[in-house]
Amino acid sequence: MNTLLRSLVGGIGLALIPVLIGVFVMLIGETAQVRTVNFFLINLIIVLGLQVSMGNSNIANLGHVTFMGIAAYGAAVLSIPITIKATILPDAPFGVSEVQLGVVQAALIGIAVSTCFAFLTGLVLSRQSGIAATIITLALIVVVHTVFINWNELTRGARALYGIPIKTNIVWLMAVAAIAVVIARLFRDSTLGVQLRASGEDFLAAAAMGVNVTRLRLVAWVLSGAIISVAGVMYTFLIGSISPKSFYFETVFLTLAMLILGGMRSVSGAVIGAVVVTIGFEFMRYLESAPEIVGFQLPQIFGLTGFFLGTIIVLSMALRPDGIVGNDELDEMLQNRVRDRQG
Amino acid sequence: MEYFLQQALNALSTGGEYALLALGLAIVFSVMGLVNFAHGETITIGGYTMYALFIFAAPTNAWVLLPIGILAAVAASLTFERVAFRPVRNAPATTGLLTAFGVSIIIKNFFVTVVATRPKAVPTPDWLNTQIPLGPVSIQTLQVLEAVVTFGALIILLAVLRGTTLGLSMRAAAKDFNTVRLMGIRANQVVAAAFFISGLLAGLAAIFIIARRGSVDPFMGFIPVLKAFVAAVIGGFGSLPGAVIGGFVLGITEVVFQVILPDKIAGYRDAFVFTLVGMLLIMRPQGIYGQKLELGEKGG
Repeated sequence: MNTLLRSLVGGIGLALIPVLIGVFVMLIGETAQVRTVNFFLINLIIVLGLQVSMGNSNIANLGHVTFMGIAAYGAAVLSIPITIKATILPDAPFGVSEVQLGVVQAALIGIAVSTCFAFLTGLVLSRQSGIAATIITLALIVVVHTVFINWNELTRGARALYGIPIKTNIVWLMAVAAIAVVIARLFRDSTLGVQLRASGEDFLAAAAMGVNVTRLRLVAWVLSGAIISVAGVMYTFLIGSISPKSFYFETVFLTLAMLILGGMRSVSGAVIGAVVVTIGFEFMRYLESAPEIVGFQLPQIFGLTGFFLGTIIVLSMALRPDGIVGNDELDEMLQNRVRDRQG
Repeated sequence: MEYFLQQALNALSTGGEYALLALGLAIVFSVMGLVNFAHGETITIGGYTMYALFIFAAPTNAWVLLPIGILAAVAASLTFERVAFRPVRNAPATTGLLTAFGVSIIIKNFFVTVVATRPKAVPTPDWLNTQIPLGPVSIQTLQVLEAVVTFGALIILLAVLRGTTLGLSMRAAAKDFNTVRLMGIRANQVVAAAFFISGLLAGLAAIFIIARRGSVDPFMGFIPVLKAFVAAVIGGFGSLPGAVIGGFVLGITEVVFQVILPDKIAGYRDAFVFTLVGMLLIMRPQGIYGQKLELGEKGG
């Protein structure tokens, strides 16, 4: 079986996980559970985007949520009805307060703007290696967050933007998540992906073999930015109201913990990490809200979910730095096992 | 003229604070290749210790309060090393970086859980905020002290690094840790020394940061350390002189933007500064003092 086909089949197989979870909850879940799965799927798309750049290039990225924010704000300000804009964004620049686009156009423009921004920042980032690159991603998210908070005319500052049409539902999210899985998998197994992973293992050796590391990092960064932008747009049209804090460190921690626990070097790791962390996170959130367990009233404990995420990151780094899945995709492992058995 | 002097002093004291923190990051990085994102939490722990001391013991003398805060920062730094960073010492840089990031999240949320998310006031001694008249200008004690302490700490650090065996082994470890160990120096000692110095510098910086803010909160360490990271990257990550120079370059740039930006867009100061840093890095990816990586060298 040739590589492309194998990769495609593996990707589609993996894409069944989010689809099955979605279908399952649609059939028997209550509203609250559907809601949880909606957010799971959005986080999964972010984690997949993160895997494309961070997993393949082996450069920790702490600023990926930036693109989610830019795309979300872009789509939001274009699609909020003019009547609502008259109240919340009366002095918006670029004539934004006089236009109202359809959801699809607004989404596409939001994604396009955010992806262009990914390209521009990628020009700087792709030239940086390792640590410096990570710190720049961190500076990036802080800068963009500063802009969100200060640009009152366009983003309403720290206050929420509301009135965004709610058009996303679980079916759309499942479809997009499934496509993102396949794209991430195809990229990982493409020539570009293989070369980029080689550069992540050993920068100098890969460069010496003629790999254009800078260009590859840029490609991965832009693709990653585009996938995360899609997640941002889906998020906007799912909840209909956004504020800058949705695109800051809480989301960064959550998605990073997902990718690290699952194993950033494979797409399977991204998917499994997202599933496992979502389950743990929901449980912690339940504990945080002062539940009553078999007659005992637990106190309200703030910060428990954050504590949980930090612990996941530290423990998986100390005990299993490659994550649950490790280096290979699930289908590759299965194939290896079958081959071993056949001798 | 008075305005200019005042701003120059601002730049010097802000730069000094960044330099102290950046140096702490650089010394740990140069010795064991760890990007210590938990550095900010060292500051936070120092701050909360002073807060707790003030609440429970209410010491009247600041000379008791301040050293204990510094000591707490040192202890925190050494504990992080022993508990969290030793297991990942020989792992790739990304593993260490993410571990430190995890430690940082844990400590932040620990304070959220145990104390509160809201800031808690820590009264600073009056003499830190008094103005000293100096000819035509009057300057704040805090700023003078900050500049003086920074330079003092740098000189002492330089003396330790140049003049003692431990200092020599730390400088050598930055080049090639294995050879240092072959020379009979204990690795744990060198690493612990690096964390000790790093914690000490963070403790000093913590005092100035808290004196300026007048309060502690769980997230207080984040922004100063982010700035310190940027400073270290400007200077060339891992280079000790680079960290100091980067700190002052960043401090001066910030004050310059503070002065020249009109009020309307003053909120974007950091955005401007970081964009400028990004442009610097396009022209010189390895930073001011950094060197391009050669085959077989540490880093990358």
